[in-house]
This record gives sequence, C-alpha cells and structure tokens, in this order.
Amino acid sequence: MYPISQIIGSLFLILGTAFSMLGILGMLRLPDVYTRLHATGKVSSLGAVFLLAAAIFLTPLSVGKGLVLIGLLLLATPAVSHAIASAAYRIGIPIKAGQRDDLRTRLPKIKPHE
Amino acid sequence: MSPRNSAIQMTFLLAVVYLLMTGNFEPVNLAFSVIIGIGISSLVRPQHLSIQWRRLPIALAAIAGYLIFLLADLWKSSIQVGRILLDPRLPIKPGIIHIDSGCESELAIALSAHAISITPGELIVEMDHRGQMYAHCLDSSQAEELIAEAQEVRRNLLSKIFE
Repeated sequence: MYPISQIIGSLFLILGTAFSMLGILGMLRLPDVYTRLHATGKVSSLGAVFLLAAAIFLTPLSVGKGLVLIGLLLLATPAVSHAIASAAYRIGIPIKAGQRDDLRTRLPKIKPHE
Repeated sequence: MSPRNSAIQMTFLLAVVYLLMTGNFEPVNLAFSVIIGIGISSLVRPQHLSIQWRRLPIALAAIAGYLIFLLADLWKSSIQVGRILLDPRLPIKPGIIHIDSGCESELAIALSAHAISITPGELIVEMDHRGQMYAHCLDSSQAEELIAEAQEVRRNLLSKIFE
C-alpha cells in the first residue's frame, strides 16, 4: 500500500504528462504560429502546472515554493503568448486558413500576406 | 519620493522576496539577493510603490482569487483546445476579431487582456491605450458569441477586483 501523497502525486504526474503531450500534438497538427500558441500557451502550460503540483507531492520541493511557482507561471503564460503573437503579426507572418482579420484595417502599414 | 529612492525601495522589496523564496540567509545569498534586486530594478521604470498596510490582506486575497480564477479558466480552455486537437478533422476557423473593452484605466485594460488571453480559444494579439483589443480565436465563425463571452468574463473579473 502506497502512502496517499504518492498516489495523488502520481495522478498529477500522469495528467501533466498527458497535457504536455497534447500540447506537442498541437504544435505538430496546427497550421500557423497563432493557432500553435493556443496549444503551447494553454495546454502545455497546464501540463507544466500539473507537473509542478506532482513535484510538490513527490519531491522535497516545499509547498509554498511550489505554489508560488505555479502562480508565477499562471501570470506569465498569457503575457508571453500575447508577446509572441503580437511580434509575429508585426513582422507580417500570415494567418493560414484565416476567416476574418479585423486588425488589418487598424494596422495598414503591416500587410500580412496570405 | 525621488526616482532614486523608489529604485532603492524596489531593490529592497525584491531582495526580501528572493530571500523568502530561497529560505537561505547565508551572507553569499544575501549579497546575491541585492544583486538580483539591483538588476531587476535597473531594467524596469522606477515607480513609487505606495503600500497601504491596512489594505494588504484584501489585496493579497484578491490576487489569490484571481489566480484560482486563472487556473479554472486554464483548465477549461485546455480541455476545449485539447478536444479540437484530438478531433481527426481538426475543426478550426482561425481569425482575428475586434473587442472594444470600453475600459478607461491602464490597469483595467491590462487585466482584461490578460484574462481574455486565457479564456477558451482566444488570444489577444494587439491592444492600445483606448481599450481596443484584437483577439485571435480558433473559431471565428462564432465571433459575436466569443465577444459576448469575453465581455462577460471581463465584467465579472473587474467587478471582483474593483468592487
């Protein structure tokens, strides 16, 4: 019989690995940088959150430090995704299979070529 | 308070946070915490932080609540994006939609953009100081619904923080 903390930790480990793999699948399947950011910025970061939670249970990482790291990760992830998407748009990386683009009228100097 | 005093205050606060996080009070680590504090405060614009000690518990509770809200949203959006990824047909119709947040203050706009970036299927690409935001979404055919949803998220969030 394993201690309960090991069972919870292993559960988090499995979830974290699953979401990280899903994020990589997104990297491979999605067509362009913006849609890939949805996969890496959300799915993979949730995987990282779960792996950190598993580390709290399974390794000597203290609870407080682990929670602070999760909090910083949650705050940083959307900002990083936004920064990459904004930079990609500004250098004119096209939106593949795009249905609409409200931003093109706003930034006429930058012409994303489809 | 002069910019220099603000920088010193910020360095001190950063050093304290670093020491608390590492939990190591040896002289080498003390020196290193000061170096890190100086490094970070030289990178950002010096800003006077007015700490109202009486409001500190409320502010900390609001931050904790916001983090829990972010975690719940991250879970929801990951499930949604994951379902799209596992679908063999890959049902995406990407596009950029315009959202008018109508916010006035810089903090409110930044928080709105931050929260919307993590709501299911949306990602802020561009925003300006007048509160106009442009979000990339995975399914732009339902753009109007997404805008309504984003506005709902934003309003809930802002009412929680600035009640």
